[in-house]
Amino acid sequence: MSDFDYPDNLRYTAEHEWVRPGDGEIVRVGITAYAQDALGDVVYVSAPSVGAAVTAGESCGEVESTKSVSDLYSPLTGTITAVNEALDAAPELINTDPYGEGWIFEMSLADASAVEALMDASAYRENLA
Amino acid sequence: MSTDALLHSPLHDRHTALGAKMADFGGWLMPIEYPGGGVVAEHTAVREKVGIFDVSHLGKARVSGPGAAAYVNACLTNDLERIHIGKAQYTLCCNESGGVVDDLIAYLRSDEDVFLIPNAANTATVVEMLQAEAPTGITVENLHDQYGVIAVQGTLSDEVLESLGLPTGHDYMSFVETDWEGLPVIVCRTGYTGERGYELVPMWDNAGPLWDTLAVAVAERGGLVCGLGARDTLRTEMGYPLHGNDLSPDITPVMAGSAWAVGWDKPAFWGKAALTEQRAAKTSRLSRGLLVTGRGIPRSHCAVIDSEGASVGEVTSGTFSPTRKQGIALALLDRSVALGDSVSIDVRGRVVEAEVVKPPFVEVQVRES
Repeated sequence: MSDFDYPDNLRYTAEHEWVRPGDGEIVRVGITAYAQDALGDVVYVSAPSVGAAVTAGESCGEVESTKSVSDLYSPLTGTITAVNEALDAAPELINTDPYGEGWIFEMSLADASAVEALMDASAYRENLA
Repeated sequence: MSTDALLHSPLHDRHTALGAKMADFGGWLMPIEYPGGGVVAEHTAVREKVGIFDVSHLGKARVSGPGAAAYVNACLTNDLERIHIGKAQYTLCCNESGGVVDDLIAYLRSDEDVFLIPNAANTATVVEMLQAEAPTGITVENLHDQYGVIAVQGTLSDEVLESLGLPTGHDYMSFVETDWEGLPVIVCRTGYTGERGYELVPMWDNAGPLWDTLAVAVAERGGLVCGLGARDTLRTEMGYPLHGNDLSPDITPVMAGSAWAVGWDKPAFWGKAALTEQRAAKTSRLSRGLLVTGRGIPRSHCAVIDSEGASVGEVTSGTFSPTRKQGIALALLDRSVALGDSVSIDVRGRVVEAEVVKPPFVEVQVRES
């Protein structure tokens, strides 16, 4: 799995989500290269609605591939501020560009410092090993 | 189950060398998909060009001896007298209550020789059932690890076979026993994808070189090596039943829409009394297609609900159709539900709307001459 890219500027969870810290308390969330490869071709994403309150570690949606369905877990606690509507028509963006065009949602954190508690890239790589 | 306990196809090392994702299929460790392909690309290759699949996990068995074909005909549901020597037939092995122990293909080689391709997980059971009632002089052999099976499927499959000097163009459901590079191989005009195609049955030890040569011929034509993930989406688009999902010891051919594969006028076959009664009663659930009109993908065991909110059935197979770009499903539904009705599917608590349709979900190419 070492051939996948795990950018150093992101934070990671054991459920294979990435979090991109942004300005202030808004962060962007997606699934990692490892997760998209394990799922296979992503064909449907059920993301939480804008305004929904989500809790760290709890299921907030689903990512489906041709083969299976996986829960999408919120990496942190807060409120959904945006969802990637491009995934409705092109869910395969999660496979082709998991850290870019394949982002899933943005959220406003209840506690902006909570992101620091997530794994950094090297810790996530070790977690996969 | 640990993967250590799983059986390996004669092509196993080739799959792992390609980096295929492997999974348990009926007790065999088989490829789901390959790097550089993936289910959707592999599926599309078969619909538009050509793909090859290792399906060596499928069972192989032989019933031989004087009266072998007549004996098989008295056990399995379909009527072997409908076909002649050199043809294959889709048939079912039922229990006495009419439930399906397995669905299989019977190859009529002569009145004294019938070759069977059951499903991987059911081969031993089918062989035991046939052995238990075999009259003196008739032998039933489990040849599971004597042969490999390679499916070549898609509109360019004739070109691929011709490039190897193999026969093509014989009728749908017929087979030719020939040789390739001096090695015996059976070339059957069969498949599980809905596309024009062939299934090749080489001896176990000869499967490797045949696969390698086919893989090159397929790649030269823009085709792909395909895993069993794509085989499942292809067969679901056709509405072909999968044993364990759409057929089972609790699901009869009457319910599954497989009554066409039953020789009702035959004097005897396993399950005849129960099936005849169920067919006449017209009360059992029936298998229908569901085409999702909203967003979402139905999966096995999802409940189907009518417009009044009543549960009217259950999904037996569901997936994403790469061709339709929609969720599709096969479901056992109450007879109160008609083709064209709108129903809801409870997909893990979320309601997904669907229309009741008659499969296939895509155009059929399989019989074109």
